[in-house]
Amino acid sequence: MLAFYWPPFARAATRDNDTDDNAGEPNAFITIDPNGQIRLVITRSEMGQGVRTSLAMILAEELDADWSRVEVGQGDCDPKYGDMTTGGSMSIRSTWGPLRKAGASARDMLLTAAAQTWKVPKGECSTTGNNLVVHAKTGQELTYGALAAKAAVLAVPKDVPLKDSKDYRIVGTKRARVDGQHIVIGEAHYGIDTKVPGMLCAVVARPTVFGGKVKKFDATKALAVPGVKTVFEVPAVELPPLFGEERKPGSGHQHYLWGGVAVVADSTWQAIAGRRALAIEWDSGPGADESTEKQRAKLAELLKTSGKELKKIGDPDAAIGSAARTVEAEYETPFLAHMTMEPVNCTASVRDGKCEVWAPTQNPNALATALASVLSFPQSALTIHITLIGGGFGRRLCIDYGVEAALISRAAGAPVKVIWTRDDDIRHDYYRPISRHQLRAGIDAQNNVTAWSHHIAAPSTDSTFLGGELPDTGGTEIAGTGLPGGTVPNYLLQQSFLHTAVPRGYWRAVDMNWNHFAVQCFMDEIAAATKKDPLALRRQLIASRQKPSGQADNEGDAPVNVERLLAVLDLAAEKSGWGKPLPQGRGRGIAGLYGFGSYVAHVAEVTVAKDGTLHVHRVVVAVDCGQVINPDMVAAQVEGGVVFGLTSALYDEITIENGQVKQANFDTYPMLRIADMPKIEVHLVPSHEAPGGIGEPGVPSTAPAVANAIFAATGKRLRRLPFQTQELAQS
Amino acid sequence: MDAISITVNGQPHSVEVSPDTPLLWVLRDTLGLTGTKFGCGQALCGACTVHIDGEATRSCITRISSIAGRNVTTIEGLSHDGQHLVQQAWLADQVPQCGYCQVGMIMTTAALLAKNAAPTDADIDEALGGHICRCGTYQRIRQAVHRAADAGKPATSAAKPAAGGGAQ
Repeated sequence: MLAFYWPPFARAATRDNDTDDNAGEPNAFITIDPNGQIRLVITRSEMGQGVRTSLAMILAEELDADWSRVEVGQGDCDPKYGDMTTGGSMSIRSTWGPLRKAGASARDMLLTAAAQTWKVPKGECSTTGNNLVVHAKTGQELTYGALAAKAAVLAVPKDVPLKDSKDYRIVGTKRARVDGQHIVIGEAHYGIDTKVPGMLCAVVARPTVFGGKVKKFDATKALAVPGVKTVFEVPAVELPPLFGEERKPGSGHQHYLWGGVAVVADSTWQAIAGRRALAIEWDSGPGADESTEKQRAKLAELLKTSGKELKKIGDPDAAIGSAARTVEAEYETPFLAHMTMEPVNCTASVRDGKCEVWAPTQNPNALATALASVLSFPQSALTIHITLIGGGFGRRLCIDYGVEAALISRAAGAPVKVIWTRDDDIRHDYYRPISRHQLRAGIDAQNNVTAWSHHIAAPSTDSTFLGGELPDTGGTEIAGTGLPGGTVPNYLLQQSFLHTAVPRGYWRAVDMNWNHFAVQCFMDEIAAATKKDPLALRRQLIASRQKPSGQADNEGDAPVNVERLLAVLDLAAEKSGWGKPLPQGRGRGIAGLYGFGSYVAHVAEVTVAKDGTLHVHRVVVAVDCGQVINPDMVAAQVEGGVVFGLTSALYDEITIENGQVKQANFDTYPMLRIADMPKIEVHLVPSHEAPGGIGEPGVPSTAPAVANAIFAATGKRLRRLPFQTQELAQS
Repeated sequence: MDAISITVNGQPHSVEVSPDTPLLWVLRDTLGLTGTKFGCGQALCGACTVHIDGEATRSCITRISSIAGRNVTTIEGLSHDGQHLVQQAWLADQVPQCGYCQVGMIMTTAALLAKNAAPTDADIDEALGGHICRCGTYQRIRQAVHRAADAGKPATSAAKPAAGGGAQ
């Protein structure tokens, strides 16, 4: 048996780009059985983005394996795998280099083993893609299975050549998802499907007011419900940061368990019935006077005075003051919930100084850190199984629900599955932040943009977990502001922070969503004011981009390649028929971005009826995400990203009243459904550049492309999400 | 507590649960059939869809006491090893992403096609309008429904190849 993994560098979780230079990323565990079956361990969390398939494809390619003999397994949280965080559209970017090296090294060792067996030069041996090593001169063949034991004892080669993309058999091809069969027969096991011997079920009555606490409770009636075993209070324990960061003492962070009262029973329904029978008196706490109305008013107020200056080029105030014309607008986006189809849940078994967890988690490393801290266990006492996840979207980067389950198991003295009902889930989320943007542009007499000012008012996401004196903490969330920011001779980027008790978290594409909405809509407003075609204006601004100064536009990304950005804008325009006339009441809108390592442009086509009814017919997306691993899965991610973005544009907002979330389920927080679907067309730019991410970049351009299409159709600007379509009705 | 008798996937069961227990939790917790999913508990999302005497039904709001003596089919009993035309179409069009909603989608589609062998897009909108997919796979779902419907037609003409579900 050839069992092979790449030993780790010990380092904190990272959001860095391709780690090709890093010799120590243990992202693969390859086992080759004597009978030729190849087992690959995947060290990222599968939540529908297809990592179990794509990462296996990369590995199998360099191993030159027969894909039909490949089996994929999920790795548990283990230090030998290093950082297993799944997010930031980073899975392929962070494992592309190490997985290829691992696969190529294993293949090299098999070649060496064959050459030794036949006593021939290694250079005369080759692999066929059928799990065979062959020696062409003599026609000898040996299977990977036959060679595995011999290869396993060889030294791991230091440098191995990687395949040229022209020789790819697997990468770049459409392969079926490895989980598909299980899913369609109901055998795919998500976190919520976990069953272990002796397991009890629990639900928790959590405070509904942000910062609320249990004052007192009476469990008498709850304990009388058949099947209910025990009822106790869950403490609102402090949780450590999510990505291995340092947190200053007294930082004022907001990262605590909700706490509440747990009802533990033999089965889920009995626990739910028990919870209904609880009598709880709550202490509402300081968050009780928060409301959406007050938050919106405060954000508007923050924009009336200067914020923290983040970037300045030239003299924007003077340039705007002396401009021939100015364009100004303010944009708003609401708090949003994740609403993964599989509600939040976790199963934990804490006993005899050990903790075993079955967690639908995107962040097993953070969960391990938190469990060790809260339980006071060494990490060696923890076993974290990463289950299949029914939707992540960033909610599962948080580890609150895992710690909660462990505390409940410990208190109950048994393994416990904690299920959050849908209203638990929507009312105790880590929300995408509310935001408000003030944009101002100065236009000269030649109709050129001479000044651009963007002031963002929002709470900081990172400060939920890290605290600190705003605005000094991490959380200068400026993705999406980079273009045209860097192209305008006088530029100002400011940020003001809203203090709020509402916990913030990472929601698919994060800050790119709200900044990009404002910027891409505002570009259209400038186009209208200067009578330029919105695509032509974008081309003009992007093409004039100064040479990269070595500073990235978006944190963590390489500087933008303007040719690639222009190419996707042009491709989306071409495929959507941009510029061709449309009937009255019908319009197209465009938005494009560079983010998460990829270039993506959207064109939306809509009709607005006289009564204001909006119909989105079509969204055409052009994608350059570098070397594509599985084109069908890239298309799927973009299709899904458009639906995600469109849902947020059309329907959703979390509203707060008296410190509580008003929404409770899919009736008050609606989702796009099959009848609302536009036709989505995805066009991929062929490329062999390093892979970019694709989980998130399909989302942010959707809302502004639709907003711009609405303007093209009606001449009316919708500057607030969700679209206040009642404003579209013709009077 | 009185026992309630139901048949699930052709097997008789006698369950001792509170009569107001939703069928969903009887299936998942009492009988260990976890293919049927919990998404909302209020019949808003469709993840819990099963067949009761062939009718697509939301098990999260169906009290066990109301279906005593009835025949329940879950995803586990829909076919032997995934051979139902709907399951095959779902794989051919590579519909699922996270997959959590797909069992419900498949069950509703199977019930639809049993009644309506050639559904129009409007029929599909109506039948699946009660389902939510947060991953946004609706475009492929629609393709797969048509593919399954075409595959179920008598072989008098060559089956129309369904349009590709994504980029090449």
